[in-house]
Amino acid sequence: MQLEVEKTALWSVRGICKSFPGVRALDDVSLNIYGGEVHALLGENGSGKSTLAKCLAGVYFPDRGEISYQGSPVVFHSPTEAREKGIATIYQEFSIVPTLTVAENVFLGNYKTRKGTGSIDWRTTRADTQKVLDELCLELDPDAVVKNLSVAEQQLVEIAKAVSMDSSLLIMDEPTAALGLTETKHLMELIRRLTAQGKAIIYISHRLDEVFEIADRVTVIKDGRFVATKPVKGLKMGDVVRMMIGFDIEQHYPKEVHLQETPCLEVENLCTENGVNNVSFTIRVGEVFGLGGMLGSGRTEIARAIYGMDRITRGKIHLNGKEVNFRSPGEAIALGIGLIPENRKVDGSFFNFEGPKNITISSLKDILQGPILSLAAEEKVGTKYIKKMNISPMALERSVQFLSGGNQQKVIIARWLFSRARLLIMDEPTQGIDIGAKLEVYRVINEMTADGISVLLISSDFPELLAMSDRVAVVRDGEILQVTEGKKMSEYELISIASGVGLENEVVA
Amino acid sequence: MKQITKYLRSTIAGPLFVLLIIIVIAALTTSRFLLPQNLINLALEVAIVAIVAIGGTLVILTGGIDLSPGSTVALVTVCMAYLIQNMGVSLPVGIVLMLFLGLFLGFINGILSTYGKIPSFIVTLATANIFRGLAYAVTGGLTIFSVSPDLEPIFYGKLLGIPLPFYYVIVLYIAAAFFLRNTIPGRSIYAVGGNESAARLTGISVNKTRLLAFVIAGLTAAIAGILEIAWLNSGAPSFGADLGLDSIAAAVIGGASLAGGYGNVVASLVGALMVTIVQNVLNLNAVQAAWQDVALGVVLALAVGLDMWKGTLGGTIQRIFGRSNIPPDSTPVPKE
Repeated sequence: MQLEVEKTALWSVRGICKSFPGVRALDDVSLNIYGGEVHALLGENGSGKSTLAKCLAGVYFPDRGEISYQGSPVVFHSPTEAREKGIATIYQEFSIVPTLTVAENVFLGNYKTRKGTGSIDWRTTRADTQKVLDELCLELDPDAVVKNLSVAEQQLVEIAKAVSMDSSLLIMDEPTAALGLTETKHLMELIRRLTAQGKAIIYISHRLDEVFEIADRVTVIKDGRFVATKPVKGLKMGDVVRMMIGFDIEQHYPKEVHLQETPCLEVENLCTENGVNNVSFTIRVGEVFGLGGMLGSGRTEIARAIYGMDRITRGKIHLNGKEVNFRSPGEAIALGIGLIPENRKVDGSFFNFEGPKNITISSLKDILQGPILSLAAEEKVGTKYIKKMNISPMALERSVQFLSGGNQQKVIIARWLFSRARLLIMDEPTQGIDIGAKLEVYRVINEMTADGISVLLISSDFPELLAMSDRVAVVRDGEILQVTEGKKMSEYELISIASGVGLENEVVA
Repeated sequence: MKQITKYLRSTIAGPLFVLLIIIVIAALTTSRFLLPQNLINLALEVAIVAIVAIGGTLVILTGGIDLSPGSTVALVTVCMAYLIQNMGVSLPVGIVLMLFLGLFLGFINGILSTYGKIPSFIVTLATANIFRGLAYAVTGGLTIFSVSPDLEPIFYGKLLGIPLPFYYVIVLYIAAAFFLRNTIPGRSIYAVGGNESAARLTGISVNKTRLLAFVIAGLTAAIAGILEIAWLNSGAPSFGADLGLDSIAAAVIGGASLAGGYGNVVASLVGALMVTIVQNVLNLNAVQAAWQDVALGVVLALAVGLDMWKGTLGGTIQRIFGRSNIPPDSTPVPKE
């Protein structure tokens, strides 16, 4: 490691810290990036990789620490400033304008103008776009409107845009997420050509196989902290996975088993228009069935299909022995399914309602007296669940907007207890809530399964997923790769399979 | 009773306070304002706007907007006048037909803006033109006068010495408030406006709920149209020109959020009163029509502005006077 000091880094990051309310996203992270290298940034979901990339790209302003270019410190106040100083970024979320053409997008904000008039020189812009597309081996029409392109092609336009900026550092955040094999191959070739020109690449990906193919060095981040930087040569995938997991102090998960023999939900050869591919599994009464996988692996899409949100193209779903084909969430709810959505604020809570109204909303017919909603009954229900679930009493009188994330989540769980759901889909139920509230969510899961409610648990917190699930299915590219008992699988195995390393590369710990 | 006072306090205390201020200013500046005859005129004038504002408020609560009720009123008056004068249709039958016409026009707005996926602003801007154009086509652009002598009692009749429109307004507002507060579709309207995505995920049919709001808006516009023809005993394609915007102004001044989910129908009645009182006071002081328009525009802009700024204004006021009792909204945890 001492050798690094001798060569001046092209870009370097020193002691970067960045906090968001309630979370320390980056804690004293340092990094050197040399010209001509592909530097992979690795870590689990939520470890802080993207936050670091965004600090470098000028999107976030770090709380502490410094960024320097060839040894001299620079400060970015905006993404534009970072771009001008030579850092281009390919974001995970697209930053292209769908209604503009490929050429207009590639040079957006950077158009060549004619001298004198100041008008945009479209001929040069188009020719330059063609040049960039040729470099990428892309057969795209510079005049094609972006929204008419496939997702993979849009991703390539995004890449072309970053490449066209002629920058010294190119940050790629999950660039291959939407790409097929051929396109990925072209991208790899392009990366090699760029590094041959002395440019540096920061490569963020969940796919370790890709990382091992293209990267020169890897840096692992865990929980916002720097773990290690190592050259890829001589490194084994198993070592990287182990660094990503870290050596956590065993957390206590109060798991209780209430598994019964009868099946609750049976899914056979399920395919949907949204990428779920030939998925089969059975959830039994009282079981917690976990879906593990990386972001974008298709976990959420499986849940959406069961909940009647996506059209099913093939396969069957049986609920309590009867074949069902839900065309809307309403139909799924009527037969006893509930969903706790991943994004509580956007898809779960009604901020214009107080607690009781948020609880009764999924089953208003239960507080009807004749055709009239009984507000007295509603208040009684609200009081009962707010007490039972240990929700802040403020929820009775005030909008749930003023509750903590944990309390908001418990209100949504209460909603499905009130509607007597028999199968509850929980998508990231503990994301962004504190440890105390997490424990209460686990306790509620135990109570529910004891009552014969089945749970489909989706969680990026792998230790939690493995500890709380009776069985875990590993999902990748919309397919279930294997189903294993939660306690028999290690986090190491789960990440290996989910990230495409495969167990053949396993290194015995 | 306790529940009712609590309900009133929590929902319309703010607008009611502003209304009181306006009334005090009106009484102090305009000597004729408090004369019984003026107050009766005021009640008659407010009735039509107030009834249209019921439907307008429901649509706004779902997060939509309805610009077409003025044109619906015009089309209803000319159709009814035409049916009675030229086709010999009896008054009760005419009224029932017009109520169905209103439901149908609202249904068109609703279908286009939900299943048709066109934003409601555009849909109702278009249908406002279409309905009014049809009204002109029916009469050839003319006003149909002296429709029927039986119409007059509907508007000018009195019960216990109080004009009938007063009762219509009270009955319709009680019905609307009850519908919103104590029925499943009413609750769904708030849910859809408050969080469309969450509403869908809790099994509420977002499209059906929005459609229902538009259908009710068509119905209240038709009722207003029937009152208009009874008031003037004539039908004209130019009637109701400002009604759409006045009813939106009433809802927004009453505190309804144009984003949907917040507001209530009783407050819209207070808003309608404010709009009408401002107009009335300007009339009594013989302000020119041009300046009346300017004044109403300012009132509307201020009302909508207050709706948009109330978050920031509230925050600023709290910062200045310290001690906020509202915990800050926590920012979502950034995700990779």
